[in-house]
Parts: sequence; structure tokens; C-alpha cells
Amino acid sequence: MRVAQSHHLNQLTHLGAGFYCVSAVLAGLLLWGLYTWGSQQLIYGLGVTALNVPFYWGAYIVNFVFFVGLSAGGIVVASMVHALGLERFRPVSRIAEVLAISCLTLATMFIFFDLGRPDRFLNLLKYARPMSPLIWDVIVITLYMGMALILAYFSTRVDLVRCMEKIPSRSRFYRWLTLGYTDVSPRALARDKIILRVFAVLAIPGAVALHSVTAWIFGLLKATPGWNTAILAPLFVGSALVSGLALVTLTSVLGRQFLKLDIEEKLIRDMGKLLAFLIPVLGYFLFAEWITVMYAQEPARLSLFQELMFGNYATVFWFDLLLGLIIPFVILAVPGTRTVAGVGLASALVVVGVLAERVNLVVAPLMFRFLVPQITFYVPSWVELSVILGTYAVGVLVFVVLAKILPLVEIEEPASRRAGI
Amino acid sequence: MARKGMVIDLKRCIGCNACTIACKAENATPPQVFWARVLEGEVGKYPSARRVFLPVLCNHCKNAPCLEVCPTGATHQREDGVILVDYDKCIGCRACMAACPYEARYFWENGRGYFPEGLTPFEEVGYRKFQRKVVQKCTLCAHRVDNGLEPACVATCPTNCRVFGDLDDPTSPVSRLISERRGFQLRAELGTDPSVYYVQ
Repeated sequence: MRVAQSHHLNQLTHLGAGFYCVSAVLAGLLLWGLYTWGSQQLIYGLGVTALNVPFYWGAYIVNFVFFVGLSAGGIVVASMVHALGLERFRPVSRIAEVLAISCLTLATMFIFFDLGRPDRFLNLLKYARPMSPLIWDVIVITLYMGMALILAYFSTRVDLVRCMEKIPSRSRFYRWLTLGYTDVSPRALARDKIILRVFAVLAIPGAVALHSVTAWIFGLLKATPGWNTAILAPLFVGSALVSGLALVTLTSVLGRQFLKLDIEEKLIRDMGKLLAFLIPVLGYFLFAEWITVMYAQEPARLSLFQELMFGNYATVFWFDLLLGLIIPFVILAVPGTRTVAGVGLASALVVVGVLAERVNLVVAPLMFRFLVPQITFYVPSWVELSVILGTYAVGVLVFVVLAKILPLVEIEEPASRRAGI
Repeated sequence: MARKGMVIDLKRCIGCNACTIACKAENATPPQVFWARVLEGEVGKYPSARRVFLPVLCNHCKNAPCLEVCPTGATHQREDGVILVDYDKCIGCRACMAACPYEARYFWENGRGYFPEGLTPFEEVGYRKFQRKVVQKCTLCAHRVDNGLEPACVATCPTNCRVFGDLDDPTSPVSRLISERRGFQLRAELGTDPSVYYVQ
């Protein structure tokens, strides 16, 4: 244990060439995104994007729903560890929490970039109209973010105190991060555990609400037949769980590979199994929608699905179905291919597959809304792509920096914990 | 309060787009923004093919989907049923554009006018009342209606295709037209209850 622990702490304080190179590249991308946003979109408006009739919502909103969905992974793992007591998932719970918080931050950033007047962002609070699903989303994202922060705080606190003692050079900084609550007596730890359990349980309905409300921004709009279906909310919950868990798994595999995190192979394979269990649920929701549309032959929805299957969006659709759902499922379901590399590849495919699904869910139905369908193809402009790339860089950068602040795998110290340092 | 509405007689429409131009002249809307426009299509096969026209504008729905989804209340409804956008409150999220079943809403982004040389004096004065990067739409010429005039598209129509009036008053010309000639609304099955009716 001693060896493992010092290894973790060394990783925190050792800032190698790799860290600086990666951070520099990410910072460059971030600045590029910021520059294009400021020099183009902020001045000329959304005219510099490819958003036009009928595509009122495009790449930014696709990424918004994508990242809201990705944040679900944190809750899946946190609820397994803290609410159900499945202790063997504990090594990845820190990664999951950090990912949940950064994904939600990125989602909010994408909403900000999508607005015509981002300077009026606070009008959402000032003039909030409770009837609007967008306001429900503002409320539920804020609550969920609060829960994610509380979960992260109480499950990280003990490690922060430990870092405070072990790394004297950063002692002040860690004390500040603990918000002054440095009590690690058995009583305080027991209290933390109860708080964690309460919030981990609360986070489950919270997650369902978050993803359903995000779906209802689209699903409640009766003008667009492709959106206005009751399956949309369950579909969003399903996609969120699948993509969120896949992102946590992918990050764990990468962290194990490149940051030498102490995550056992068995755990990675277990997460692969769990993912293999969730993918068919998502497939089932998609199939239920598909069969309803195909059997009813309702013109508006039928033409949308024909466009998805054989039209401009066919590549995205079949990519999602084959590479995003079926192939990862096969990789994860066959024990022989469920190796660390196999699980990593499958989860990467799932994440990209769900992004493709979000494109088809958000963008394609917009073509079939008015009296006459407007069949066109939406490709984001270079400004949109730069801003998106810059925002992705923010996400990775936050993770890379946090990896140097927090021990990404909890420092195990069972003996001393019992003794109560 | 009287509910303002309009009836459009499709039998009389010749597709001349005078309403489109009258709206442009009256409201000075920027390029690519058409508060009033005429959709065109063809029905039937040669030799019995014919062109059909459908003049459209904001329907000023009684149960407006755009009103429901607006997160800031920038979109609001007057007592006479007219739906307006408060440019100062709008954050440009475009939820109303996605919610409108009639594609009646527009987004003016770049602030450019019709000509590459810059804004003409007409445009300079006309665009002053708008704001960039927010949503705008047909006001049912509220500024004219409040002064006892008809909307510009109604006043201009050379074939008297459009009739404007009070939908709540059963004796008004609009109400009589609707009941006598079985007026219908666009996408009535959505339950939005538009204030713009069509007769054929």
C-alpha cells in the first residue's frame, strides 16, 4: 500500500514534459476557439454559422445534448458505489465524478455559444417564464450540478486532507479546497458516508429528470413530428446512461494506459459487461420508435425515417447503428474480445455512435416540419467547428489539470483510516 | 376585447406577391426576412396541372406554441391576440423558431442590408426599430391597426384576397366569410387556433 500511495502522490507533484506538451496543445486549441468566437460570431452574429432555415438548431445544440448525456456516467458509478455499496467500482468513482462536472460545464458553454445574444444569458434568470421547458432545464441542470459537486466534495475530502499532510508545498491550496472541513475522525467519516448515500440516491431521480427535461425541449414541440414522440425522454435517458458509462470506461482505460492509474483489468472488464447490458436497452428504444413509424406509415414521420435510412443522413444513421451499437455490443459480449483494449475500443465507438445519434435526433427532424418538407443537408461552418474544438479542449484541459490536483484513484489507506489519522 | 384576425381567399389569390412587397415597404424588414410571403406549388398532371398559391404570415395563434416555449417572456400576446416579440428581452435561443408550426419567425444576424455598398437611407431609418441577433416576426401591423388602419398586406392586395377584422364579432366581414364559406386554419389539427383563416 505504501508503494501505491507514494506512486499516486508522485504523479500529482511530478509535472513532466508530457503534461506541458499536452496542456500547451490544448491551450492552443482553446485560444483558437475563443479567437474565432470573439472575432467572428460575437461580431457578425450567428450568420457565420451554417444555421439557417430550417436548421434553427445545429452543432452547438447537438453538443449540448451530447454533453448533458455524457454527464450521466458520473451518476451511474456514484450511485453504484455510494448508494448500492458496490465497492469494487470505487477506483473509477473519482474519474466519473470529475467527468460529470466537466461535461455539465461544457454543456452550459454550448448553450452560451448557441445564443444569439449571449450577453443576455442572465435574462434566463431575470425574466424566467416557468412554462418554458428551457427554464425547467436551467433549474434541473443547476440542481444536478449542485448534487454532482456535493458528491464530488464529500468523496474527495478525505483524500484532500491526506494530500494536505503529504504534500506540504501545496498544503494551503488543499486546505482551501476542503473548504476548511478537515475533520477525518471516524465520526466525521461516518457522517460523510451518510451524506454521500443520501445524495447518491437523490441523484438517480435527478439524472432521470435532467435527461427527460433535456428531451422535452424537443419532445414537447408539436410542430416537429420527428421530435414529438413520447419515446424521446426514455431514449435520452438511455443514450445518456450508455454514453456516460462509455466515457467513464474509455477514460479509465486511457488513464490506466497513460497515467498508470491503479485500475485492475477485472474492473475494466466488469464495466464492459455493464455497458454490454445497457446497449440493448438503447437499441430497444430505437427499435420501438422505428416499428411504430414504419407500421403507421404516417407521411411526416415516414419521410423522416426514409431520409435517415436512405437519404443524406444515412451515413450518420448506419454509423450509429452498426459502429455505435451493434459492433461494440459484440465486442463487449464475447468474452474473448472483452480485453482492456477491446473494452476501450468499444466504449470509444459507443461515445462517437451516441454523438451520431444526437445529430440525427436534433438536426434531421427539423427538415420535416412545415407544410412542405425542406430536404437539405446541414454541415457546420468552420466557425462552429473551431468553437466546438476549443470547447472540447477546455474539457480535456480541465481533466488534465485536475489529474494533477486530485488523486484520480482514491488513496487507499485502510489501516490508518481505521486508526483515524 | 376584440380578437384581431384575417381571412385569405385562396380563390382570388393570383400569386402576385404584392403583399410580400407591401410588408417589406411598410415594415422595412431586412434581407431574407419575409413576415408575409407567398408559397407556390403545382398540383395535378398535364393537361390538368395548375399553379397554386398560399399566402402565409404569422398566424397569431390563440394557443401559440412559440409563446409557451419562450424562456424569458420576450414573446408575448396582446389582449387582441397579436403576438409580439420584446427585442430587449430576447436572448436569441431560437426555441420559438423550432416551436412555430408555420415557420413565421426570423432571425436577423449580420445586420447587413440589401446592397453591398451599405445601408440606404430607407434601410437606415427602417432597421432602427429592430435589433440584431434576436428573433423577429410579423406584428400584424400593430402600429397601423392601433391607429384604425388595416395591415399593409390587406390594404395592398389588388384582388381583395385578404379581409381583416374582429373574429369575436359574429357580424364582422371576417366572421361572416368564415361561416359562409367554411373557413379553415393551417395545421388546425395541432390545436393552435390561428387567427388567420383561409377560404377556398
